[in-house]
This record gives sequence, structure tokens and C-alpha cells, in this order.
Amino acid sequence: MSIEQKTRDALAPLFADQPPPEPPEPAGADESEKQAGPRPNGIIQQDYSARGFHLDVQIKSEQIVEAVKIMFELDYFLESITGVDWLKDDQLEVVYDFARYDFDLCRTVLRTRISRSEPSLPTITSVYTGASWHERETHDFFGIVFQGHPHLIPLLLPEDADFHPLLKDFKV
Amino acid sequence: MSQAIELQKDETFVLNVGPQHPATHGVLRVKMTMDGEYIYNAETVLGYIHRMHEKMAENRTYPQYMPNMGRLDYLSAMAFNHGYALVVERACAIEVPERAEYIRVLTVELNRISSHLVWLGAYVLDLGGFTPLMYCFDDREQILDLLEAVTGSRLTYCYFRFGGLYNDIDDEFISGTRSFIKRMRKELKMYAKLVTGNIILMKRLKGHGMIDYDMCKRYGATGPVARGSGINYDVRKNEPYGVYDQFDFDIPVYDEGDSFARYMVRMDEIEQSLRIIEQALDKLPDGEVNPKKKPKMIKPPPGDYYAAVETARGNFGIRLVSDGTNKAYRLKLRSPTYSNMHLFDEACRGMLIADALAFMGSLDLVIPEMDR
Amino acid sequence: MGTQNIPESLETVPASFVQFAIADKLINLCRANSLWPLTFGIACCAIEMMCTGAARFDLSRFGAEVFRPSPRQSDLMIVAGTISKKMAPGIQTLYDQMPEPKWVIALGNCAISGGPFVFEGQYGIVEGADKFLPVDVYVPGCPPRPEALIEGIIELEHKITGWRRWPKVKPQWRDTPEG
Repeated sequence: MSIEQKTRDALAPLFADQPPPEPPEPAGADESEKQAGPRPNGIIQQDYSARGFHLDVQIKSEQIVEAVKIMFELDYFLESITGVDWLKDDQLEVVYDFARYDFDLCRTVLRTRISRSEPSLPTITSVYTGASWHERETHDFFGIVFQGHPHLIPLLLPEDADFHPLLKDFKV
Repeated sequence: MSQAIELQKDETFVLNVGPQHPATHGVLRVKMTMDGEYIYNAETVLGYIHRMHEKMAENRTYPQYMPNMGRLDYLSAMAFNHGYALVVERACAIEVPERAEYIRVLTVELNRISSHLVWLGAYVLDLGGFTPLMYCFDDREQILDLLEAVTGSRLTYCYFRFGGLYNDIDDEFISGTRSFIKRMRKELKMYAKLVTGNIILMKRLKGHGMIDYDMCKRYGATGPVARGSGINYDVRKNEPYGVYDQFDFDIPVYDEGDSFARYMVRMDEIEQSLRIIEQALDKLPDGEVNPKKKPKMIKPPPGDYYAAVETARGNFGIRLVSDGTNKAYRLKLRSPTYSNMHLFDEACRGMLIADALAFMGSLDLVIPEMDR
Repeated sequence: MGTQNIPESLETVPASFVQFAIADKLINLCRANSLWPLTFGIACCAIEMMCTGAARFDLSRFGAEVFRPSPRQSDLMIVAGTISKKMAPGIQTLYDQMPEPKWVIALGNCAISGGPFVFEGQYGIVEGADKFLPVDVYVPGCPPRPEALIEGIIELEHKITGWRRWPKVKPQWRDTPEG
């Protein structure tokens, strides 16, 4: 069984109560469709040569620790955690990138959407210790609070910074 | 060895290393809680050279942003150029001519050698040896002469364009590179005798600074840091991009996990890069270095795109979120040094401070790449 | 802090009302020919500074190759790199810790005026070292060539002593400008 199929099967129980996933979207899809709003939760298989990653998984923010534990069991390593500010949807998206050390190539992206006014979701430092700095940086840039983080102070901005520069409505 | 002693919690003091310190290779601050000469705890403080690269990406058009890539990790700027060009070409589906791909590989590998030479000189300088620095910088000047004739800059290159290159190479570059390869092979023998075979270096590096597979996986360490701990991961082989699958080269992997293993990985990588350069020169096809059809304005279709390349320090990833305009909506730069440095806080507990600084040097840090 | 709270009695040191011209000239010559820079490379320009100290460009010809790690032992601060708002208080502390007489060279575009990192809405950098330090010589470039840094050191020597070690070289065209 290929690693992609293994990963999909391992993550499938998270979506047990949801409709089946949508078919993959080709690159260059209709612009108006893409900007309509957030896509529903589920796993999409992407075309690697057009996008650069294989699996695109969108989950609820409460399920994030469970999903990340599954990735850890499957021997993925955490590449990065980042945020994206969707001002028009009034949401913030947190994106987790995973990759593998062996020759079974499968880049997986985990995404979750949270509300922009009170952004918070659980930390994954209990699973991947390296998430500590990534989450601090995401907190610096977007103001997202990671509950349970051992040391959520500014990493790249000065210690007394109270602004979040990468938000789209940030003014100096 | 260094972990054998029992550390007392109530007799500690805080030692502040940096931001201005000759051994931190830039502006990095480490707050070490010490018990005598042993480190009880370390906390790294970043952000002293935070240059807002990710915010700038939202304020610059795609071609205007290319020079930023050179300033990110200035020692291995070609690979960063390559990563950015790769993600935009993937997004806009631009074809790169074959000659351009081979020249890209040539210049990236030359840059990798020059980056490892700076690392070698600075690392041995930290350990107290002044001489190899002069030899390394002299060899590096030969590479810089070659690359300057083609790209125009010595350090922060901005040579790649979307779909090709800025300038084609000429015969002088090719003959200069061939003579450099001969010279560098002789120099590597000299380094092996002068530096690697030195008993002081071996005693300072062997057995110190242990990193294992589990630590690398939890922190996401890549590059020579992971390859020195037995992990066979190199983006050029695991996830080939460009024309790297046409070349015959090995990936040096050492299992010991100590600083000496990471040192040997980088020395062997110089030899492997020389092999790749030789093969690229032999196989260099004729043709153009820029594609015939190129979009007038770079406007990738909306969506997410990702590209990963192997720089001198590890796996550099770029995530591009585009909304269809000529400026990126969000550009995330996944820098290898950031994940590699994170290990330091956990791995240096119980080490002597001199060993900890030797360990820091073996991680090959470039601070502006961490802080972006 | 630093040099701001010196009592008036100490400000009038003997050299200001009794001066020996020849001795002063000699001392300035000694100072100019043995500048001790502080190892203060922040970013990319630091590598060009290292290259200037290395074998090909050889800063030790001018007496300036002894880079001191401690500000108490140096008299020249070469600000090489972008100054971020987080780092600026540290640089001020280092400058204040250097003993008089001291000089500052701003190396690279970032230290002169913020460099390529100035854009509308920038939140993180100080646009130039001269916002809070008295800069003596500006060396432009991104990064400037080692020869440019050497020219900066020669210019600083000219400022200290009053004469240039080597005359300025007029650029010569290889082909005539007309063709």
C-alpha cells in the first residue's frame, strides 16, 4: 500500500461524520469559484507536479492534536506551521506542513480555520517539540493563541511587542 | 562524558551569550543557566535581525522580490533563488529550457562549496585555529571570481529569472571551473591533513554534541545535521527537482550523531558537489537560457503552491498562497537553520560551555535565515 | 547613560588649552594606522568584512586586522548589516562602552539608510545607523566590495590625520566613451 493511501486511511476516522471528499481541483481553476469561501473539511489528493504537495487535509481545529498524533505515528516530520489571514471570510487559517525522511514521497498539508476575532487552538508541542518556535512565530505574526503552549512569548518581534504585523489590516 | 556530573539547581547563574559574540555567527542571543561550567538550561532568543521578508512579499511583485531571496541566506543564495523560481514556475506552469537547468545546477553547486568553505573557516576559528580560515577564504575567492563574471555579484546573487537565467555562461567560465575543480581536489587533500587529521579537532568533536533520530524528527531538522545522525534525507535525491535526477552522486550519511559526523558530512559534500559540477560541464547542452514564451506579468492562478530545495544547510521550503494578483497573498519561507537551531536548547543540557559552542558551530547557523 | 552625564569640570581636559601640534599629529597618525575594529558583523556585509580581513584583500596592510571581540578594547565600530529595532539598544550599549576616541563606519546600504528593507508599512528596522550613532564614513553597496571597505578605511584615516595614504584613483575607461 502506498504511503499516500496509508495516510488517507489513517486520517479517515476524523471525517467519519462528514460527506465524502470532493474530487481534486485542477490548477488554474475558475477564479470566482476559488474565492467563494473556505472549502469543506476533508482530504483532497493534489497533483504534485502542479502544486508541490500530495495530500491536502482540512480538519476542525479541535481535532488537530489527534491528527498530528497520527502523523507522528506514521513517521512524518514537521516542516513548518504558519498562518494565513483571510480577511474577506473573517477567518484565520493555520497550515501545518509535513514531510518524510525516507524515499516514500508524500508531502501532506493539514489546515484548519479559526475565527479571526478570537483565534485560539490547542498546541501540538506535546507531540512535536519543534512546534514550540513555529507556534510562537505564528502568534507573533497573527495573534493566534495556542492553548497549552509552555512559553508563548514573542520570538521574532521585540519582547514588548503588542502588534501582529502579518494581519491584513495592520497599520504601523 | 559531559552528562555524567550531577547538576545542582540551586547554585546556578545566568550567562548571556550574545547578541554580539564572535562565536554566534551573527546576532543570536542564548541565555544559558549555568552550574559552574556546565549548562543547566539554555534559551535561545531570536529576532535581532528580523527583516520582515514575509511581509515584504506582500508588498512587492514577484520579480521585485527575487533580490530578497539572496539576502535570506547570503552564503548559499543561489539555492534560495532556485527555490523561489521553482515555486513561481510551478504556479504559472513556465517551462525552463534544459541549458538553463544545467547552468542552475552548476551555479548552485559552486555556491554550496563556497558556503561550506566559509563554514569550515569560521568553525575552526571558533575552536581556536586561525590558519584554515585564510586558506578557505582564498579558495572561496576563486569561486567568487567565476560567479562574479557571470552574475555580477560576489555574495547575494540574484541570478535566476522565472523560466531561466539572467545571463548565459561563456567559455571562460567553463575553463575556469574546470581548473577550479582540479585545484579544489588538491586542496581537499590538504584540508584532510591540516584540519581533519588534527588530533585536537578530533578530540574536541568526537563524542560531543549527540543528536539522534528521534530528536531530528521532533524538531524537523534536515540537511547535514540530520545526515550526521544517520538519516538519509536530501531533497536532491528524495524529491528531485530540476535535472538533479540526471546526475550520479552520493549522499554522505554518518551514523554517529556527534559533531565530528556533521563535520565529515560537509567535507564529503564538497567532493560530491565537485562530481556534480564535472558531470554538468560534460553534459551541458546548447540552446537558450530563457524560455520562448513567458508571461508578460507574473500572476499565478489562485491557490497554494509549495516547493522545496536543498541548500547548504538543509531543506528550504516555500509556500506560496496566491490570490491571482501580481503580488503574493502570503509567502511562507521555511528556513532550515530555524529548525536545526531549535535542537540546541534541548541537546546542550549538561554540556560544558566550550562543547556547547563547538556544537553550535557544527549546526552551521546563518542567523538572518532564522529570523527572516 | 554613556557620555551624557559628565560633570563640567571634567570636560575641560588639558589638551584643550595646551596643545602640542607635532605630538597631536603623531598620535593621530598612530591612531589612524592601527585602528582596531569591533567584530560586529550583523548580516551579509559581515562576510565581506571577513573577506577584507582574509588573504586576498588583506586589511592588515593598513593596521586594522586585529578585530577585537570586546568593545572596551576597540576604537572602530563597523556597523555591517541591517539594524533592527530589537537590536538598536544593544548597539547603543556597545557604542557607549567603547573608549574615546572612537569612530563609526556604516558599511552597506542597510546601515546607511535601511537599504532594500524599507517599504511602506515596515515595522522592524531602523533606517540607518546615523539615526542614533554619529557616523564618520559611509560605504555604500549591497554588499560593498572589500575594496570599497578598504577605501572607507583610507577615507577614515584621511579624516583622522588630514592626509590620504594613497591618492584617489581616477576611473579610466578601457574603450573610449564614444565607442
